[in-house]
Amino acid sequence: MKRQLLAAVFGGLFTVVVNAAEYNISVDRVQIDTGDFVKEGIGYNGASPGPVLRFKEGEEVTINVTNNLDEMTSIHWHGLILPFEQDGVPGISFPGIKPGETFTYQFPIVQAGTYWFHSHSGFQEPNGAYGAIVIEPEGREPFRYDREYVVQLTDKHPHSGDRIMRNLKMSADYYNRQQQTASDFFAESSKKGFMAALQDRMMWGDMRMMKADIEDVQGFTGLINGKGPEQNWTGLFEPGERIRLRFINSSAMTYFDIRIPGLEMTVVQADGNNVQPVNVDEFRIGVAETYDVIVRIKDEKAYTIFAESMGRSGFARGTLAPEEGMTAEVPELREAPLLTMSDMGGHMDHGDMSDDDMADMNGDDMAGMDHSAMGHDSMDQGDGASMPADPFYAKGSGLIPTASNGGKFLSYADLKAQNPLYEDREPTREIELRLTGNMERYEWSINGTKYEDADPIVLQYGERVRFKFVNETMMTHPMHLHGMWSILDVGEGKWNPLKHVISVAPATTVYMETEVDAPGEWAFHCHLSYHAASGMFRKIVVEGGPDTTMAEGTQNGQQGGES
Amino acid sequence: MNTILKNALLPAIALAVSSGAFAAGEHSGGHHGGNAVGEPGKAEDVSRTIEVTMRDNYYEPESVNVEPGETIRFHVKNEGSLVHEFNIGTAEMHEAHQEEMQMMVEHGVLKGDQINYEMMEMDMGNGHSMKHDDPNSVLLEPGDNKEIIWTFTEAADLEFACNVPGHYQAGMYGDIEFE
Repeated sequence: MKRQLLAAVFGGLFTVVVNAAEYNISVDRVQIDTGDFVKEGIGYNGASPGPVLRFKEGEEVTINVTNNLDEMTSIHWHGLILPFEQDGVPGISFPGIKPGETFTYQFPIVQAGTYWFHSHSGFQEPNGAYGAIVIEPEGREPFRYDREYVVQLTDKHPHSGDRIMRNLKMSADYYNRQQQTASDFFAESSKKGFMAALQDRMMWGDMRMMKADIEDVQGFTGLINGKGPEQNWTGLFEPGERIRLRFINSSAMTYFDIRIPGLEMTVVQADGNNVQPVNVDEFRIGVAETYDVIVRIKDEKAYTIFAESMGRSGFARGTLAPEEGMTAEVPELREAPLLTMSDMGGHMDHGDMSDDDMADMNGDDMAGMDHSAMGHDSMDQGDGASMPADPFYAKGSGLIPTASNGGKFLSYADLKAQNPLYEDREPTREIELRLTGNMERYEWSINGTKYEDADPIVLQYGERVRFKFVNETMMTHPMHLHGMWSILDVGEGKWNPLKHVISVAPATTVYMETEVDAPGEWAFHCHLSYHAASGMFRKIVVEGGPDTTMAEGTQNGQQGGES
Repeated sequence: MNTILKNALLPAIALAVSSGAFAAGEHSGGHHGGNAVGEPGKAEDVSRTIEVTMRDNYYEPESVNVEPGETIRFHVKNEGSLVHEFNIGTAEMHEAHQEEMQMMVEHGVLKGDQINYEMMEMDMGNGHSMKHDDPNSVLLEPGDNKEIIWTFTEAADLEFACNVPGHYQAGMYGDIEFE
């Protein structure tokens, strides 16, 4: 125990940078101290988060991963384009890494930007098994900065992942502390009348959902680079400098709304890919997404990095300061949003409401909205000319974000590729994926079928597939396709941005296209840990391509629903 | 955007853009006197030509040296794949101009790789248009090139900058150093 503690302390101080093209990573039991609680967890090289791996575009990396646990493990290189046997998903890419074993990953680095890595076995990732990847590009970047920091967020919970999953299965609202109470009900009935309030409650009851069902798992402490709000991770700067912040959301379940009061941020990358720069006051980072922003600080004072969870049940906090120990004011959490009827959409398949009821509550059919028709014209959707509605939320949704200073909040609609990787072309076909679930039983699925009951999605090498996500649930799902880029349809044609996670808000339809250019077998799932584990997961099989013999070699691998 | 709304909004933009960065500079050129930013130069006064290449999203070179009183021809070419601006001014002037260009983007006059010249040329009445024709600035589509002849009347804190939204913040500016 003493040795492990020491290792954790040492690792915490010197996790910084490993520079060679060969890397050694040990998977270890570690202590995680959030400031609020100390918890046994899993980390890399003796610490959680693990090291920042710094790669260079064009190099070939060799990574030796030694499993010091008494259970199987794996590392998935999130967002990296690589041969599928190197992707690290047990049961799909490879069998996993046994206790005591060292597995050697080897793959070329064919991209640049900010990514991360994590275990794809059981709930090791929520238990602490994650780290950052920074890839330096071959050429000059389309922006400049004087210094940079990784800002890696997580939602550290005092309960282990297994325990959280058991509790959610037992009672889906186990960790939902913001349920509306009887007194909320009476307040509501005095406002809109008893019958209306009652009817409202009954309708939500039929949905097996509640208005406050924005975060499944509350009660966490938000961490930045492993530090809780009181421990206050601090990045130093010299006044006048331009600072690149590489935000990575490594949370199990939590979306964060991020701002640095007093500073404008310029978003220059999303999910590792350069985007045409956008100035924002605040942005929402979905689970497993990354955003790189540049801030320029002219004065000699401290600024707070404030990351509120989307449901406002917790926050992470850090500081940018000219000197160690300087702090700035930490804002209060804003009021928790409530879901609205709009967030129900017209697609709930587990309620027992009649069609009439559905028609009543679904006056604005945003669930079928067509994102390809967006573009600059989407400006018109706003209530006021200066504040256009975000087309990636259902009209009237309770989740539509607003900047705390009344300024600009980043939308997916703002993301445009800086330098498109692929030619724009017509997709060869469309695949509809309905995101489905039964909240009461805490079952999550795609097209109503859980992973273990589902056939793989078969794609042909060389095709361009248009995926249509129809979110029929009232939760937001960050959908992550391994191995190939997700080209998010923001209605900008060739400028549509490349991502590796596509967040789909309740009652919306979102399209993405994928150039099927990577043979083999890949995972495709909701990146909320407990949604993936309870069935919102698919295997993708890419048939054909230059390397077919390898793809066929592993087809009898076991199912791997672990995330 | 529907036509009625568009027509309602355009005069506001026209006013904003034609009041321009150059005018703003005359207010904030400040401590070096009224015209520290300099003035449009005459071809016969040109002492040398500086080639400026626009890329995504930076310039080559990233700084230039001039002497007080010197008249320079800037030959600016856009070798990037996005629209870029080359604008001579103070940091404050650039900041003011960025707000105007943000409006141009929001109203579709300026797209990632295109300028809607037709919309810019439209006569909005009262002699206003959305022309981006201040003498201290050129706005170029990919592949285009233009010249600016500029006289730096006196030493001042000047930058050349691209005020297409986000580009300045991403680092697309350079210093004008006085020798």
